[in-house]
Amino acid sequence: MLRALRIGAALALAGAVAGCSSFDFGNWGSSPAPAPTPTAPQAMSFTILPPAPLIGKWGLASYRDEKDRPRTEKMARVQCKNPYVVAKGPTDGVMMHVADDPDQHELALKKGADGKTYLGFNAPPGDPADREVVELTPKLMVMKFVDPDTNSRYGTFVYVRC
Amino acid sequence: MRRDEAAAETRKRKRRLGLRVALALVMLGAAPVRATPPDAVTMDVGDEPGRISTEEVRIEDGPFARQLVFYRSNDAPGTVVISTADRFLYLILGGNRALRYGIGVGREGFQWSGLVKVSRKAEWPDWTPPPEMIERQPYLPRFMAGGPGNPMGARAIYLGSTVYRIHGTNQPETIGEAVSSGCFRLANGDVIDLFSRVDVGAKVVIRQAAQP
Repeated sequence: MLRALRIGAALALAGAVAGCSSFDFGNWGSSPAPAPTPTAPQAMSFTILPPAPLIGKWGLASYRDEKDRPRTEKMARVQCKNPYVVAKGPTDGVMMHVADDPDQHELALKKGADGKTYLGFNAPPGDPADREVVELTPKLMVMKFVDPDTNSRYGTFVYVRC
Repeated sequence: MRRDEAAAETRKRKRRLGLRVALALVMLGAAPVRATPPDAVTMDVGDEPGRISTEEVRIEDGPFARQLVFYRSNDAPGTVVISTADRFLYLILGGNRALRYGIGVGREGFQWSGLVKVSRKAEWPDWTPPPEMIERQPYLPRFMAGGPGNPMGARAIYLGSTVYRIHGTNQPETIGEAVSSGCFRLANGDVIDLFSRVDVGAKVVIRQAAQP
C-alpha cells in the first residue's frame, strides 16, 4: 500500500518535473505532509535526468556474453533499417517499452543514490522494473534489466544511434 | 497508466501471447514447399523469445526420446533422414540401425521436402526476429546474440542455401508437434548430441510422407 502510494505520488509528480531535477516522496503532494510517526517511511529522493540523450532512432540488439558485445554493436547498427524510435514523453520522460509489454510507457531517466543511472517508471531507482544504463553516449547506449530473470532472458540491450 | 496497472496489463498480455497463433517467419528460401496433410496436428503456440531452456534439456521418455532403432536404408552412415509426418529425425548408422530423435516440424503450409546438404553448423546461433514478431512484440531486440533465451536454441545445423535449419529450441514441449515455419527443432540436449554426430556436407533427406 505504502509502495503504491509512493508510486502514485511519483507518477503524478512526473508532470510537474522538468529537466534535471529531483524530488522527495516524503514531502510532495497537494495535501500537507503527514506528521512523522515512529512507523513513517524515510523520505526517498532521487534525481530525474533530462531525456534528450535518449530521443531519436536507434538500432537495437542484445547479447548475454560480453565476448558478443562487439559484434552485437555491429548488428545493432545494421538494425537501423528497422529502428527503435524513442520519442519524448508528454511530461519529463521518454516513450519506450518495458519487458514483455507491447505498449509504450513514459519512462524516466533516473540517477540513483548508488551513483548509477536507471531507466524506468517513476519509482525509486533500481526498481525491479528498471533497466540500468550501463553506458550512455551520443551514439551508443547500453542497458541491462535490473530484474535478474528478465536480464537472463533478454540479455543486455545495445542501442546504436541511426 | 499507473505502474501497477501497467504490470497487470503486462501479465494479461503475456498470457494472451502464450496462446496466440504464431505468425509466419520470413520465408525467403528456395526449397520446395508442399502443403501438409489436413489431419496434421498444429499446436497453437508462438515463439517465446526470452524463455530459458538449458543445454541439459532433452526428451527423456516416450517415442520422441533419443533412441537406437532398426531402420532399413540404403543411405550412407552419417546421412540424416527427416520424416515430417512421423516427427522423427533419423541419423543413419549403417547395418540397418539409426539414431532416432523426436522433432518439431513446420506447421500447416510450412512443410517441405527435398534433398540438401549440411552447409554450416553453429553453436548458440544468433537470432533475428522476423518483422511480424517485432510488430507484435516491439520490445524485442531486432537481433539477439545466441544464448539460452534465444528461440534457436543451443545449436543450429544449416540446410543447404535454404533459410531452414535443424536447431534447438527454448520450447521443448513442442517436440512432436507441427509448430515451426519450416525448420526442424529438437530439445537442446538432443540437438547438441546430433550436432556432435553430423558433419558439414552430410546429406539430409526431408520426407513429408510417413515411411512405408
